Amino acid sequence: MDMTNVNPHEDTLTFKKWFQNVWRGFSTAIKGMGITFKYVYSVKPVTIEYPEVREELPKNSRSRLFNDVQNCISCHMCATACPVDCIYITAERREKDAPKLKTSDGTAIRLDLKQYTIDTALCCYCGLCTTVCPTQCLTHTTDYEYAAYTVDSMKYDYTSPEIVAWRERLVK
Amino acid sequence: MSDHSTTSEWYKNPAEREVLKTDLLTLNMGPQHPATHGVLRVEIKTDSEIVVEAIPHIGYLHRCMEKHCEGLDYRGIIPYTDRMDYLGAMGMEWGYALTLEKMLGTEVPQRAEYIRVLVAELQRIASHLMFFGTYAIDLGAFSPFLYAFQDRETILRIFEELSGARLLYNYIWIGGVWNDITDGQLRRITKFCEEMSESLKKYHALVGENHIFVGRTANVGMMSKELCFDHGATGPILRGSGVNWDLRKNRTYGLYKDLDFDIIVGEGIKGQVGDCWDRYWVRMQEMHESIKIIKQCLDGIEEGPIIGKVPKVIKIPEGEIYMRTECPRGELGYHLISNGGKTPYRLKVKSSCFTHVGLLPEVAKGQMIADFVATIGSIDIVLGEVDR
Repeated sequence: MDMTNVNPHEDTLTFKKWFQNVWRGFSTAIKGMGITFKYVYSVKPVTIEYPEVREELPKNSRSRLFNDVQNCISCHMCATACPVDCIYITAERREKDAPKLKTSDGTAIRLDLKQYTIDTALCCYCGLCTTVCPTQCLTHTTDYEYAAYTVDSMKYDYTSPEIVAWRERLVK
Repeated sequence: MSDHSTTSEWYKNPAEREVLKTDLLTLNMGPQHPATHGVLRVEIKTDSEIVVEAIPHIGYLHRCMEKHCEGLDYRGIIPYTDRMDYLGAMGMEWGYALTLEKMLGTEVPQRAEYIRVLVAELQRIASHLMFFGTYAIDLGAFSPFLYAFQDRETILRIFEELSGARLLYNYIWIGGVWNDITDGQLRRITKFCEEMSESLKKYHALVGENHIFVGRTANVGMMSKELCFDHGATGPILRGSGVNWDLRKNRTYGLYKDLDFDIIVGEGIKGQVGDCWDRYWVRMQEMHESIKIIKQCLDGIEEGPIIGKVPKVIKIPEGEIYMRTECPRGELGYHLISNGGKTPYRLKVKSSCFTHVGLLPEVAKGQMIADFVATIGSIDIVLGEVDR
């Protein structure tokens, strides 16, 4: 039957239509059930059982930030690029008689980095800070399990020894 | 009214029955109602189960995005545009990038243009799959949601490898794109397209042809052409009401002028033109068209640079521009006013969802509550874009 421009709510119900309705409801439901039934055996499970099975994120995944402070020249480029202003840097000029320091790619370090803090709770993981970093010391890692109980513990000072120790694990 | 001794007698008297009018019941649907797709609160005045009046209350997800942008440099705004429509973030970024490129006069490399169309169409499929899944849930079917998410996951995985994030990509930059796409990813997209056109037919047979689904959506929530024009509806809503209007064809941008695809217009196959089923059907068919576009992009993509020449510090010359693009949910417009500085003077976003929410009070009048849920689902709103 042509259903075009017929409002079923206003239409009078005849015997024929009633049977047609029943048949259509029955047949389409059976068809849908058939499609659903195919999923029972022919489709592999797509979910993983998380704590037991951990998925490895792609290499350029934008997860927890890590700053390798030995290579940081305190240029403030990341803090300028950050759209949410979650990077706090304190740096002092190095004394003239202090030994000359260089980053691994040969850039001279002229400032002493006193504090490099990122508020991870405020960070929007956009990745703009890592793209502007001239020595590529600030990177996104694939580390994603770092929930904390307090907001304050989400502030990481990358000059502190325990966070510097992450370097072994995170920097490849 | 004073003498109530013979109840049946006074009820029969029409003059007295007039006095005993039923009171309207005010019902708040949302902001945490699963059928409102986010934090939309609709204040419904109901007469038993008939909606007499529906007033949408928005603003629960307002994040002052437009005001924030006035203090940000032009590159820093891109992550904010992502967060407007988080289900169609690529489209949001692209619209913004196009706005700035037009102001700067930047040439976008051919490969970047191809990648942009590719990701935008993949995003359209992902967004429409989300609609398909949640709409089925709204109407009481659960498994389509899982199937849709399975396919959406493939797209998100590709995006994750491409940009590094699953939802908020910051991938389309001013002048090009961030990362290059590899041959392996292109092959995976090809494979996905083949699988997808098969599963779309399956999904349509499972949900769209189902008699219960048709009964719940056909002839429900009719939006006539005139109503759509009056309220400024765009995208699948407008096309579902039988208007042949797609910015990708009518106000072409990017590479769309070279690509061959059709505009899907609602035909009223199961009911009347402009009902919920038509809007559903337009979106399902659009996914087929998107696959067609992606296939052409995969054939046409060539090696080359992915980002054009853009100054390190972007300063937009003084002036204003309005740029609009076709996002999964409809027309997205950026009105940018610059006074020559590093930050915009004003960035106004015209979002399609905001105008679509305005349609609700008109359509809701005289509907059943269950039909009203179907109507909200069919306009596919994302509250992040409504409130910004």
